[in-house]
Amino acid sequence: MKKVLLALSLSALTWAQPAAAPAKVMTIPSYKSLKFGPAPEIKIPDIPMFTLANGMKVYLLENHELPLVSGFALVRTGNLFDPKDKIGLAELTGTVMRSGGTKSKTGEQLDEQLENVAASVETSIGESNGRIGFSALKENVDDVLAIFQDVMQNAEFRQDKLDLAKQQLRSSISRRNDDPGDILNRNFAEIVYGRDNPYGWRMEYEHIDNIKRDDLIAFYKRYFFPANMILAVQGDFATADMRAKIEKLFGSWSAKQEPVPAFPPVTAKPSPGVYLATKNDVTQTNFSFGHLGGELKDPNYPALSVMADILGGGFSSRLFKNVRTKLGLAYSVSGGWGATYDHPGLFQVSGSTKSQSTVDTIQAAQSEVNRIRTTEVTDQELDTAKQSVLNSFVFFFDSPSKTLSRLMTYEYYGYPKDFIFQYQKGVQATTKADVLRVAKQYLKPEDIAIVAVGKPADFVKPLTTLGPVKEIDLSISEPKKAPAASSDSASLARGRSLIQKAQQAVGGADKLAAVKDFTQSVEAALTTPQGSLKAQQTNQWMRSGAFRQTQQLPFGKIQAYYDGKTNWLASPQGVMEMPPPVLRQMQGEKMRVFFELMLADRNPEWTVNAVAENAVEISSKQGDRVRIDFDSSGLPAKYSYQSMGMQGPTAVVSTPSDYREVSGIRLPHKVVIEQGGQKFAEATVSEWKLNSGLTAEELSKKP
Amino acid sequence: MFSAKLKIVLLAAAPFLLQAQNLQEFEKRVTEFTLPNGMRWIVLERHEAPTVAFNSFVNAGAVDDPAGQSSMAHMFEHMIGKGTTTVGTTNWSAEQKALQRVEDVYDKFEQEKRKGAKADKTALKQLEAELKDAIESANSYVVPNEFTRVIDEQGGVGFNAGTAQDYTTYFYSLPSNKTELWFLLTSEWFRRPVFREFYKERDVVREERRMRVESSTQGKLMELLMATAFMAHPYRNMIGWASEIEALRAKQADAFYQKYYAPGNITMAVVGNVKPAEIKRMAEKYFGTIPARALPPSVSAVEPEQEGEKRAVLETNSQPFLLMGYKRPDQNHADDPVFDVVAGILSSGRTGLLYKELVRDKRIALAVQAGATFPSGKYDNLFVLFDVPQAGHTVEENEKAIYAILERLKNEKVDEATLQRVKTKVRAGLIRQLDSNTGLASQLPFYSVMYGDWRVMFTGLKDIEKVTADDVQRVAKKYFADDNRTVVHTVKESAPKQEASR
Repeated sequence: MKKVLLALSLSALTWAQPAAAPAKVMTIPSYKSLKFGPAPEIKIPDIPMFTLANGMKVYLLENHELPLVSGFALVRTGNLFDPKDKIGLAELTGTVMRSGGTKSKTGEQLDEQLENVAASVETSIGESNGRIGFSALKENVDDVLAIFQDVMQNAEFRQDKLDLAKQQLRSSISRRNDDPGDILNRNFAEIVYGRDNPYGWRMEYEHIDNIKRDDLIAFYKRYFFPANMILAVQGDFATADMRAKIEKLFGSWSAKQEPVPAFPPVTAKPSPGVYLATKNDVTQTNFSFGHLGGELKDPNYPALSVMADILGGGFSSRLFKNVRTKLGLAYSVSGGWGATYDHPGLFQVSGSTKSQSTVDTIQAAQSEVNRIRTTEVTDQELDTAKQSVLNSFVFFFDSPSKTLSRLMTYEYYGYPKDFIFQYQKGVQATTKADVLRVAKQYLKPEDIAIVAVGKPADFVKPLTTLGPVKEIDLSISEPKKAPAASSDSASLARGRSLIQKAQQAVGGADKLAAVKDFTQSVEAALTTPQGSLKAQQTNQWMRSGAFRQTQQLPFGKIQAYYDGKTNWLASPQGVMEMPPPVLRQMQGEKMRVFFELMLADRNPEWTVNAVAENAVEISSKQGDRVRIDFDSSGLPAKYSYQSMGMQGPTAVVSTPSDYREVSGIRLPHKVVIEQGGQKFAEATVSEWKLNSGLTAEELSKKP
Repeated sequence: MFSAKLKIVLLAAAPFLLQAQNLQEFEKRVTEFTLPNGMRWIVLERHEAPTVAFNSFVNAGAVDDPAGQSSMAHMFEHMIGKGTTTVGTTNWSAEQKALQRVEDVYDKFEQEKRKGAKADKTALKQLEAELKDAIESANSYVVPNEFTRVIDEQGGVGFNAGTAQDYTTYFYSLPSNKTELWFLLTSEWFRRPVFREFYKERDVVREERRMRVESSTQGKLMELLMATAFMAHPYRNMIGWASEIEALRAKQADAFYQKYYAPGNITMAVVGNVKPAEIKRMAEKYFGTIPARALPPSVSAVEPEQEGEKRAVLETNSQPFLLMGYKRPDQNHADDPVFDVVAGILSSGRTGLLYKELVRDKRIALAVQAGATFPSGKYDNLFVLFDVPQAGHTVEENEKAIYAILERLKNEKVDEATLQRVKTKVRAGLIRQLDSNTGLASQLPFYSVMYGDWRVMFTGLKDIEKVTADDVQRVAKKYFADDNRTVVHTVKESAPKQEASR
């Protein structure tokens, strides 16, 4: 007692607490001495299921606490059924099913009708299920149920709403590199599941462009039929009454289809390694590492969940304690054993930390994974993890609707009704040895993929400390280009003659072919929001394939080299391999070199096709295309092409002029470049030097 | 004829009936009391499940951060898990001395550092090493995360805390047989929080800023909006400035605690399977002995009148965003419910004007949202509009389209159907909030503290009901004026891109 008193008086001094520090503090017992009443009894509502003649399963649950009724149907479908060339079909079907209205009502009419009574009917399709839900005040339930039924059975998928939904999906693609957390989660899943299957593939502009209204209707018809869904309704109603309503509304729905097959299995192979997505406008690195997880029905799942809880499941976990609390390295850090109902989830440890401490933090987190695999957890850790599950068990049952949706989920995925109690037993039985055993068996350091999103220039230790680093390509692949203008032998012949006419106009094919190299000096004025900016550029090219660009910018010099095989990029920050989007740009630059385009008819990899009376489109086998419009004398007057910028694809138009003769060839000395319809740069060529004897060696030499 | 008319009247009356029933129903189950030290309590019985949700609502938030100490209120949110004089330590009296040494060394270090260029480099280095050592030695007494571990073990769920501009809340739920555990732990912490591991946690808060603001375009824009719109009022600061977070001190935290965590400044809500008499008994036992302290002052800064549009841009490579705010009076002003209705007319559901025009019909925006009260309502604040342009469409285009809609609100009366729809949705929204312990435990003290009575949660609907088309037009005209506006948006980064000229 004395000790406590002393502590108190000290506290008053040191913390400037009022002198009248509460003496009664001492009467507060330790939490360890608290005696609690018996654990509350868990009451589980009995929710019987019945099946309509057409196969629709129905659960009804009365709940009179509030004057509300809500419900949803779970439909066996999912984006796992997306066709490979139409990724996004399921999502679009889920969206337009509601927004596109029904046979008798437009989406707008539904919006007004529902919101006038503060009700909703919503539809969506996720990875492995589809969902149609409604919510209504008790007094409007009949009207709302009627709309719910109408949407489910008579969706019309109006074209204008499909167009809107497609445009929105495209917009979301254009924004997908803005949030570091999104970038991380997307790429981690893609790397672990593999990009060649529905669990890891990625939606691109091209897929969306491929999707037509008929596809949505076919997808909808295939999956939305009564025997393929489970309906649950809960709220302030009398069961007999609601049952009659449901039978009346859905009993006569006769749509039928073959049973829906199982979802595709996960076939991923381990893809260990260190992956980096460079994002330079952040001060923090978001990281994840891990590999495939498991399924809930695995008998080891309870032990795995205890293990994962100790490792990274909340404020008491090792990751939280050691990486956040002790080291102060992260705001968010966690780890989980991802298990799903029907396919392996992800074992994923994640966190975010300031750029500087990226490697230290990942290593600190990794060492926790290693530790849990190699030594037994303590009694207290095991006890905390088990007790927290067992003591909080009552929260699984704290509202009838939780019980209802759990029942539906079990029914949907074919799990036993008492699965949650099996899990409870499994947790109860878990020992320290079990935790170590499953950690050893299921956590596989050799399979771990590490993914980091951040600004590597600010990392104190390079990411290569963790192993060889693979750069993640964040570029967004171009929308399927407007299909190449159709070509036939006649248009190809005209294309050839147009390019040959151009060759004549600039001085003749022989003279062009005789040029083995050039050095071009350019003064450019770039238009920026802050006004004009001067840049100097030198382009060097050799017929043998080497191409080098040197740009002098206010913040330093940038040099780039590409010869079809190797490449590098040098900036004040050092020399590196070109990030994929830069490389793509450089490949385009090289294709559009004057001397390459002018002899396009001699390049076996390219085709030259007339697309207008005085214009050709030159396309490479890789799918790059340039359109050249000629003036009446045959000189190139306009180049049009797509360029992939940070903001997505941009239409570029470059207009050459001021043709002057250099060594007998008429070369442009002025170029105006427009991007996305706005002037981007004006360039003046101060010098063209032809055949000065450049060598591959000097061009490829790194600074 | 007669019967049809009657039906309409009845329908219109039904919502009021419902609302009155709800309130009466609720009042029966609510018990309120105030301890002699001023701490207020709201207890709501809900016996649907054997669980209970707790919410400690402190009437102090980021606006109360002392000058130069931004994010101080927020630090408390992070200190709740650090424990008390009995939880989280192996030896409190030794730890206390060690913590005091940390502060003493830190004082010396700061004194030297304050000399700037004239500071003694060697002394600084030495003090830095000494500080590190003092912190390590204090840490040696820490039982990490014991406070949260106990809660976890006893089946606590949803443990967390949040710092708003106007208030700070701490909350979690327990199985109802463990109710006394909450009383014990919470009372000890509020009586005497221990600022252990303060400087590590400061790093964590700094990291949180990196995540929420520095690595997020929306976060940066939000910060820019507030700092641009407000000159004098502390609403100008969103999450705290990096440099100030990095300089926060434990002794300052203690001063903040003394000033703002007076029992009379705290309201406790308990919702769930409890007996009010027992709650009162435990409240008296555990919290009754915390001595009363003077109530803190409220913020004295009043934002001067805005005299002209304010504008700021954020250069970024990210896709565009547009954010704007109009100054509006605090939540107790008569126009407060009108702003709620206006926000509903503009952006509620699929029938909001902004959605219909910008998203659905013109297709120039991916999403547009209006918010009636931002960042918080205790003081004059902003009516905000947040716009995400559709790919290929510009901020300028969206800005113009938003103004056109606001002009319409000024020039035309909103139709009765729209007005009714918005009101119905507000009412239904209330009912939908009434089915969760945690939701109610946060709503009740919010209304009680911010509006003076938890009943405003229900009676506030009457004020919404009274809003007319004239009110909407009047408020639009009065507040949606160019010179009352602050606009922030992204622009493309000016550094030239790789695109070369040929």
